[in-house]
Amino acid sequence: MSVTTHLSRRRKPAVLRPSLSGQKAPVPHSHRSRRRHPWIFVLPAVAMFSVFFLAPTLLTFFYPFTNWSAFHSNIDVVGLKSFRSILHDGSLRNALQATLIYAFVVAVCQNLFGLGLALLLEEDTWLNRALRTVFFLPVLLSALAVGYVFRAFLTPDGALNHALSTISGAHVTFAWLGSTTWTLVVVALIHSWKWMGLSMLIYLAGLKAVPPELLEAARTDGAGRWRTFQAVKFPLLAPAVTFNVTLALIGTLNSFDIVQATTGGGPAEATQIFNVYMFRVFGEGLYAQAAAMSLVLFLVVTALAIPVIMFLRRRELSL
Amino acid sequence: MKITRVQVLAVTTASLLALTACGGSSSTGATPVGNTTSATSGAATSAAGSSTATATGAAAGASAAASSVPKLPRVHLTMWTAQASATEADQVIGAFEKATGATVEKVVIPDPYETNVPTKFASGAKPDLMFYQPSQNTLAALQYKKNLLPLDNEPWVSRYADSVKQQGIIDGTRYAAIVTSPSVIGVYYNKADFAKAGITTMPVGYDELIADAKKLKAAGITPFYEAGADKWPLAWQVAVQLAEPTKDGSLWPALNANKDKWTNPVFTDAITKYQSVIQQGLVNSDYKTGTFVNQGTAVYDGTAAMAVQLDALLSEIQAKHTPAEIDKNLGFFPISAKGSIATNNPDQTNAVVLLNTENKQRQDGAKALLNFWLGADYPAFIAAAKTTSIETGVDSPAAVPQIARTISASLANSVPSLYIEPVAHVDLYLYLADMLYGKKTPQQVAKASQDEFTQEATAQGVPGF
Repeated sequence: MSVTTHLSRRRKPAVLRPSLSGQKAPVPHSHRSRRRHPWIFVLPAVAMFSVFFLAPTLLTFFYPFTNWSAFHSNIDVVGLKSFRSILHDGSLRNALQATLIYAFVVAVCQNLFGLGLALLLEEDTWLNRALRTVFFLPVLLSALAVGYVFRAFLTPDGALNHALSTISGAHVTFAWLGSTTWTLVVVALIHSWKWMGLSMLIYLAGLKAVPPELLEAARTDGAGRWRTFQAVKFPLLAPAVTFNVTLALIGTLNSFDIVQATTGGGPAEATQIFNVYMFRVFGEGLYAQAAAMSLVLFLVVTALAIPVIMFLRRRELSL
Repeated sequence: MKITRVQVLAVTTASLLALTACGGSSSTGATPVGNTTSATSGAATSAAGSSTATATGAAAGASAAASSVPKLPRVHLTMWTAQASATEADQVIGAFEKATGATVEKVVIPDPYETNVPTKFASGAKPDLMFYQPSQNTLAALQYKKNLLPLDNEPWVSRYADSVKQQGIIDGTRYAAIVTSPSVIGVYYNKADFAKAGITTMPVGYDELIADAKKLKAAGITPFYEAGADKWPLAWQVAVQLAEPTKDGSLWPALNANKDKWTNPVFTDAITKYQSVIQQGLVNSDYKTGTFVNQGTAVYDGTAAMAVQLDALLSEIQAKHTPAEIDKNLGFFPISAKGSIATNNPDQTNAVVLLNTENKQRQDGAKALLNFWLGADYPAFIAAAKTTSIETGVDSPAAVPQIARTISASLANSVPSLYIEPVAHVDLYLYLADMLYGKKTPQQVAKASQDEFTQEATAQGVPGF
């Protein structure tokens, strides 16, 4: 069937009308197919989506304005009371600050580690293939398990200090998770370590998509490894950078498990990121306040992610 | 159809077994009374293995009357425990299943227990019974009037010793069964360290305690071990300083009516004194990263001379050492701001609540389990748990060290802690941890406590908030 014939058929809706003689007009194939698969078939999927995704999402916008708590069964609308309550003591501001620092450090480190690994393991040798698997393994591990393992590893009498003591000959008891300034960075590095394998994989895919003729042209022009990376590979990796940065940013803003398992928000609330604080408030039975925080988090993620994605997309086009 | 036949067969068999008293009575020595069997002390003893607990004549009479254990072959109960109480009821569950034919599924809820249980409740999950802290402010998160079964008329209530009779009662109704001696906050001390520093009489009042701490430091001994990594033990040094105003009623009634604040001088002074203990170096050098487990080890072996703690510390030490070793190394004394009033803090390991599941068979089964626990099985239970008796006429087992008896005896002159008396729960320890790291002043700790208190009291709908 030619393109013209196909288009002309689409321009003839009259064939759908019944003929004047009362006989039914022949129904085109595409319309018969539509009749065989009516919209009712979509209902189960729509129902599932509504119950498990749409309704909870909509309720997230409703509960913050109620007095929902563990202490009584009734749920009444009370306006902005929950928001006033969470803004009152400054903990929300601290949690927001910790979350943003955490997200920034993870977004940078995870991408640097991932890109570095991808460049190092780019060639398809057997050793590189094996190492790619090794570096991807932490992605498959449970985040809680990773957190607990690192907590044990970094305690003052943990394996790291034992190793340092053996090497240095001095008794090292440094509290790696005991600093109110640096523990947030340590936990962010753990997070980056866990997910760098995924970034590596995406960068590897990006590197594989670089046209070989461009690399050959660069070599012919006398470009070295660094110059080739700078002028050819990195610009062509722009879509991978956009994807990885967005993924890391959104994933980190919603992070909970690694921080909860490693520090539980401590020391002195230094690593109390948004979701850890929300979990604590929810556990206190103050569900409306926790829901209000969830809404604030949603707004923060939206406010951050959209400009970042727009910037990165624009950057892709300019490169 | 097949299912119906099986059910008919099961009911018929069960009826025949009950009528002929063959259903396990030979192993328990039970006597059939209608559809119940009376589990004698023999049953309890056999379940406890090498039990050394003894019931006196009076108790035996009481337990004989109260130990009617129904046969419950088709009842399946679910019991939630915390990590700290995960094995506490194992002996009871085993003996109960053997005596009644019921099955009890134990589910360990991860820590923090008091946070995770209300969260699970919110999702609709509900066990038949569970360990839970028997204070008004923690049970409020479970909506106790709606979700818990009142236990005032249970047979074991009348057997409680005077020191625990009022525990577990909220608004005049008993919602919690106390199963072990409620925790008491006081000072655990290393006897050798005290002797080395020349301390022969126990301090009376917090100022004397600090003076002794300075003597210990001068003798080259670390006075207190603080467990900053676990955070929760940090509250106790402040808690003990509130005993006098708690006893004379000048503190909590006004606070609970929102006529006073946590920022008043009583709290801020207590917090400031605790801060000065840290600032004067009267604690272990690694107080920020110290752990509860290491606290027990340090006080036991004398690395640190004292720890202000509750019964959990003794349980931790008991798991590793014999009663004789413990009594040789450790002592205990209660302390308060100006005297020796103990502070009681019944926690989830001490109490069990029954849930309103709207299933009469399971509710009756849970009540039967509790009746068995605090009735026929009680001597065996305390022997297995190596804990002191809280029932009149039942002696504490020989395996209980003297220090545990001292702690239990101090309950008689004790007041409820800052986790029990307030109408709303406050995570004071978290704010004290912030203070340890220099992130909060004592005034800010008090303000954060007040903020949380107001938030929860308002959510509860407490009058005045």
